[in-house]
Amino acid sequence: MKYYVTIGERAHEVELIERLGKLEVIVDDKPLELSYDEADRLGQVVLLHDGRSYAISIEGGARQVGVTLAGHYYGCELEDERERAAQLAARAAGKGGGAIQAVMPGVVVELLVDVGQTVSAGQPLLILEAMKMQNEIRAEADGVVDALHVAAGQAVAAGEKLISLSVAE
Amino acid sequence: MFNRILIANRGEIALRVIRTAREMGIECVAIYSEKDKKALHTRMAHVAVPLGGSSPAESYLDAEKVIAAALETGAEAIHPGYGFLSENATFARRVTEAGLAWIGPPPDAIEVMGDKIISRRAMKKAGVPCVPGLVDPVDDPAAAVEAAEGIGYPIAIKAAAGGGGKGIRIVHEAAEMASAFRTASGEAVSAFGDGRLYLERYLDRPRHIEVQVMFDKHGGGVHFGERECSIQRRHQKLIEECPSVVIDERLRGKMGEVALRAGHYVNYEGAGTVEFLWADGEFHFLEMNTRLQVEHPVTEMVTGVDLVREQLRVAANEPLGYGQEHIRMNGHSIEVRINAEDPLAGFLPSVGTLHNLRAPGGPWVRLDTAMYRGMEVGLDYDPMLGKLIVWGANREQAIERMKRALAELNVGGVRTGAPAALAVLEHPDFVAGDFDTHFLESMELAPPEEYEGLVAAAAAIFRHNQARRRALEPRASERAGWVARGRADFTNHSRRATNGGGA
Repeated sequence: MKYYVTIGERAHEVELIERLGKLEVIVDDKPLELSYDEADRLGQVVLLHDGRSYAISIEGGARQVGVTLAGHYYGCELEDERERAAQLAARAAGKGGGAIQAVMPGVVVELLVDVGQTVSAGQPLLILEAMKMQNEIRAEADGVVDALHVAAGQAVAAGEKLISLSVAE
Repeated sequence: MFNRILIANRGEIALRVIRTAREMGIECVAIYSEKDKKALHTRMAHVAVPLGGSSPAESYLDAEKVIAAALETGAEAIHPGYGFLSENATFARRVTEAGLAWIGPPPDAIEVMGDKIISRRAMKKAGVPCVPGLVDPVDDPAAAVEAAEGIGYPIAIKAAAGGGGKGIRIVHEAAEMASAFRTASGEAVSAFGDGRLYLERYLDRPRHIEVQVMFDKHGGGVHFGERECSIQRRHQKLIEECPSVVIDERLRGKMGEVALRAGHYVNYEGAGTVEFLWADGEFHFLEMNTRLQVEHPVTEMVTGVDLVREQLRVAANEPLGYGQEHIRMNGHSIEVRINAEDPLAGFLPSVGTLHNLRAPGGPWVRLDTAMYRGMEVGLDYDPMLGKLIVWGANREQAIERMKRALAELNVGGVRTGAPAALAVLEHPDFVAGDFDTHFLESMELAPPEEYEGLVAAAAAIFRHNQARRRALEPRASERAGWVARGRADFTNHSRRATNGGGA
């Protein structure tokens, strides 16, 4: 089984091969000798590698996994081969825009753009207030505003669609 | 001393007060909102009174409900903690009018220090050095430009009712004044309902240094040295330490004396903090916080004084019983705030349910927190989940101990700012003591690259195991099928029985 793991701006390939009940691990084309044991079902993991012990903690779902190693946090985005192929196909079809979702529950304070407006990457689209802080939600790429899914003053849940953008070719 | 007190707060500070009160044989009354029914402060108090409601306004900020709870439960005093009603002079007055003791400074002192313009005016009269600037608010951009000539650029425009960094604009030349003035005024009106602005010199690389003071009701007062709080972003502190590397014995004495003068001038009682901006060897009065501070533990670790105990003693009319010459500072202490936020995404708030908690321990490590497994971290309350505090014989030891303790800490379910604190502690400039209030915001906060391969492998195995476990779990459709067969048997049986009965 092959996984594509993105940490920050770098991508890594991890191949897991089950052989005689043991897991062989290949990271970026190099075999990695390690022993991995989950101490509980809550995320405490005992990791032994190259004669060293790493008490790490892991949490998350299939696509996003967070690993804490010696106090440092690594946000990992995971794709298996099928997901990677679907993602590449979508990218090729020019679906780089799409809906921008709320990353946390909050209240829409102000919409800064209108439908049909041309926006550039980094431009603030709306202000979302959460935990008494106002956060600017910005466009990730140049594009045109297709739809506004929310109105000023509206409370939104995490994952709710805020604005749809179509990305300029 | 009191037999019973009410703590008008929640979270780690409510626990902090309960702990000392218990040690003194004082019973504690907790108040809790609907959302805090299972919270630790509710569980750890002797008596817990539900206030209902989930928003702070319906519970911890409802003065009437809080005072009624104290009277009903026979509490003799109210400890406000920090935040909520702690710096509300009207509330403090109502507490005393209800015949209860207020574990805090006199309402008049809260009022004077709560208004930036009135407090600056008072401090100038008391001979306390302030940042060069205007004492009175300015009315319009033209007047601001004129005043700025006398103060010297760069200029900071600040809201009179301000706090938390809102309504502040930095102006480098006269041409920028008009637009900065307008936006600052608008922000001040929407945040505080008060658009008054004042001007002061903007100090370029300042450090935030504050002095802890304590006064009794008999004219006695001491200071407990300074705290260095320059590691902050958007005026939210992340790391605090005691003492500061830039303050020597002579300057400490001078700042302490000025802080005491400030307190005496407003007839202060109890615990307070005088905040200064320090730049190029000079310090300027910023404001006085008329409550116990979040970061008070670093002072406790270095001086060996339990500040909550002193607050309770003062409120119960006891004299301090010691003077400045009895205060000794020993070693070094550092605190890291554990906030539910994502440092890699601009410190955006993070919400979730806490699981997988691992608390650090070992010598001279203190964790003040109200976290528990299963706790919901939402948007209703402050994102601060707790504070990790360490002590060391010197600064180097304290830094190493904090790094070790942070490596032991796991908070699963939300993201926290702890990794950012660790990055600061590992930074050579921080270790050298060379930093200012802009340090954290200017930092790159990526985790070390050398472990990425190992981390990627662990993440992939984690997902792999999860998927395998899910494949082995009985599926919902299979369970439904079993139930349906059972029901079919029952139907047949009863039909047969009915038939039999009819025959």
